[in-house]
Amino acid sequence: MQMTETRAELVPAAAAADQIITFPNGLVGCESWRHFVLMTEQEEDLAVGVLECLDQPETRLMVTNPKLLFADYSVSLNDSERQLLDMPEGVEPVIYCTLSITSEGWLTANLLGPLVINPETRVAKQIVLADSGYSTRHPVVRVGA
Amino acid sequence: MLVLSRKCEQSVMLGDDIVVTVLGVEGDRVKLGIHAPRGVNILRHEIYRQLQDANAGAANHSRPSVQSIADALRGRSGQKAQVSPA
Repeated sequence: MQMTETRAELVPAAAAADQIITFPNGLVGCESWRHFVLMTEQEEDLAVGVLECLDQPETRLMVTNPKLLFADYSVSLNDSERQLLDMPEGVEPVIYCTLSITSEGWLTANLLGPLVINPETRVAKQIVLADSGYSTRHPVVRVGA
Repeated sequence: MLVLSRKCEQSVMLGDDIVVTVLGVEGDRVKLGIHAPRGVNILRHEIYRQLQDANAGAANHSRPSVQSIADALRGRSGQKAQVSPA
């Protein structure tokens, strides 16, 4: 995913239709959220981006690369998931986790349900690491309410 | 809600592509086997709800600017945490 522009505001990482990230089955519990574009800031070390939903423009998901934050967070795909995303062994996905803010002002990351994206086709799926013990609201940092 | 009773080894079809089979009953636990097409998430209901709530929460919060979140993350990113659950 590339970054463009040099303004402080969010801009589309790429405007072309082939940069749309497609979730064929939507997100868990949110089946209609299928097409997204990544909005990022022009920063070299991307800490956070926004996935804007084209099916529902009010829906904008804050996301981060969890490996920037958590040294031992790992997501491995089973064969079925690799086939669904058309990613053979050796091709590594782009992984994002959504971010939320609690009412107490904590930024939290959804480590239980990462977004897994095929970097070549931009087909994606939210997978659920059901037996991992990870939380949907893993605390990251205080940001204020 | 449609209510059916099944004995061990009996199944239920959901549409043409999903089969739920009762594999066993032990006390108050029922073991279910499920065949579904690739791409259909099979989740314990409470996990499904947890994910659904988290997705909705990630899309629908009054938030400070992304820049300030990025700053907060950058301030913290020197200390990568261990995240493996206990």
